[in-house]
Amino acid sequence: MTATLTGQGAAPGVAMGRPFTVAPPVTAVPDPGPTGPPAIEKSRLREALAQAATELHGLAERMRVAAGGDAEIFEAHAAFAEDPELAEQAGSLIDAGQSAIAAVAAAFGTFRELLAASDNEYLAARAADLDDVAARVVAILCGASRAVDLPDEPCIVVARELTPSQTAEMPRERIAAIATETGSPTSHAAILARTLGIPAVVGVSGLLKVTEGARRLAVDGRTGDVHVDPDDQIVETIAARAASEAARRAELEDVRHEPGRTADGVPIELVANIAGRGELAAAIDAGAEGAGLVRTELLFQDRRTEPTVDEQHAYYLEVLDAFGDKRVVFRTLDIGADKPMPFVAREQEPNPALGLRGIRLSLRRPKLFENQLRALLRAHRDRAVAGPIGIMFPLVSRVEEVQAARSELQRVADDEGIDLAGVEVGVMIEVPSAALAAERLAPMVDFMSIGTNDLLQYLYAVDRLVAEVAELVEVCEPVVLDLIAGVTAAGDRHGAWVGVCGETASDPEVAGALVGLGVRELSMVTGALGEVKSLLRRHDLATLQQAAQAACAAPDAAQARRVLQTALGRPG
Amino acid sequence: MPSQTVTLPNPTGLHARPAKVFAEAAAATGLTVTVAKDGRAVNARSVLSVLTLDCHHGDDITITVEGEGAEHALAGLVSLVASGLGEGAATA
Repeated sequence: MTATLTGQGAAPGVAMGRPFTVAPPVTAVPDPGPTGPPAIEKSRLREALAQAATELHGLAERMRVAAGGDAEIFEAHAAFAEDPELAEQAGSLIDAGQSAIAAVAAAFGTFRELLAASDNEYLAARAADLDDVAARVVAILCGASRAVDLPDEPCIVVARELTPSQTAEMPRERIAAIATETGSPTSHAAILARTLGIPAVVGVSGLLKVTEGARRLAVDGRTGDVHVDPDDQIVETIAARAASEAARRAELEDVRHEPGRTADGVPIELVANIAGRGELAAAIDAGAEGAGLVRTELLFQDRRTEPTVDEQHAYYLEVLDAFGDKRVVFRTLDIGADKPMPFVAREQEPNPALGLRGIRLSLRRPKLFENQLRALLRAHRDRAVAGPIGIMFPLVSRVEEVQAARSELQRVADDEGIDLAGVEVGVMIEVPSAALAAERLAPMVDFMSIGTNDLLQYLYAVDRLVAEVAELVEVCEPVVLDLIAGVTAAGDRHGAWVGVCGETASDPEVAGALVGLGVRELSMVTGALGEVKSLLRRHDLATLQQAAQAACAAPDAAQARRVLQTALGRPG
Repeated sequence: MPSQTVTLPNPTGLHARPAKVFAEAAAATGLTVTVAKDGRAVNARSVLSVLTLDCHHGDDITITVEGEGAEHALAGLVSLVASGLGEGAATA
């Protein structure tokens, strides 16, 4: 019988297919009893926990590579499998005569009850995470396969709720869409579905009962509709939408390894933001033409000692070599007092955003700065294929800082006997004083890269992490667009190229406006490269310029955005 | 045994990532470390145990370290917590 149920859209896209019901993971199995003395059972337990942790680290890595997705959930799961107290409790139960399976299930159960009993929603939700890990360990101990046996033909996966592991481990090519009876769009499974590009609807009450015996489901991940045995009219509508989405994906696929340019052939470098090794493969795969912002903080964080020049060199070289002869821009260390490093003596600050961070810290801790520059220059010298390297100084607010940083770079280069040819020196434009001083800064550098996130925060005195004020800032503010236009004009006059490396660059219509304002390099999260490239290739430079000028002339941000959507948005 | 009480400054207390950062730092000391809230003390190396304390922003926790060099290790852990465990302090 035809019926339509409505839940919440959790991952966009439409799909049709046969329903396939997936059961929850098994956390309790009949206790087979110990297979040997406690010492043997304990070593089985240790091996099973270690294997689970290895699998979970592997899943985290896969999620990082898949569109630079969120890997934290599986890192947390791995930490549960590696928890010393859990192993200790299970070990005591084994000593008391229990099997490894019964002991580990009981130990997970103890923690689960403690968490589930909390009136804190966050902790109660962690109970489900524990079940997910417990199921994995139990399956390993039983020698059972956890693989879900999906039909060959892509199906609509139907479940009460999916665990993060189930979502990530089912073969992607056999899933047309996901529909679950419970769950929310903010659940880990929903986030993973978005990362993996699987249309999903969650919180569809009555789903399991209504779909029982159904032959076909049509799922709309945007509206949250699940059509059960849809009539011809719905089938036609959904099929047409699926076809247009497929065409759009094919279009993005076609241009994936094409260079970024406008419709009339003006080259625009579309490059990736990189925070760690794990993101390199996804960036190259998505067609990044280099890297516009390689963060170096990860090397320095969560350590007791400063990374050596050799360690830094190895990381920088790996990034450079991943991109062949393409330009890679490294941002020198940008850590504030909010992320203390035991090897850098510093005071606590009441307001780290305005304190000793970025280039200010580097200039006041000369040895730290010298070591980083040394490692960067050596990596540039040693890269397999010659190409430009960018060295970019963060949080520049005054010209003196650029002079001091440049002369330090020159000194280190002379000391190393490394020629600065091919080394481009740049500044982040993220402090309003730097944006206003672009005319003075431009002659001193090879490039300026606008960091829109911090620029907005400092310009509007708004902390983006404070939800109640975060919505007050919007890059389409005509004031911001004017400021950016001033920076590109200064760059043009003095032969310094201008890029943007904030979240702004990943919003296709805004990216179009930025190019219209004179920006020639856009650095963004890997997942956004395709849509931005597609938009730029549809419009010529004159159109982008007109749209940008119209946005600058708009009275406010909301109208500026509408102007851009009308002028540059995808038809239909 | 050296012991010190500190108020959690970071927005999400001892949840998820901060709990993991704290447990890893406790393990890195190589010493016996406990953390207590409202009189209940748990093994600080265990993320799961730390989570069950349900510590929020503004809660007082007591860290105790036992063994050679405990004073030094305690000072390190206290300053790590005071700095916001990689999240920053929600003060400004």
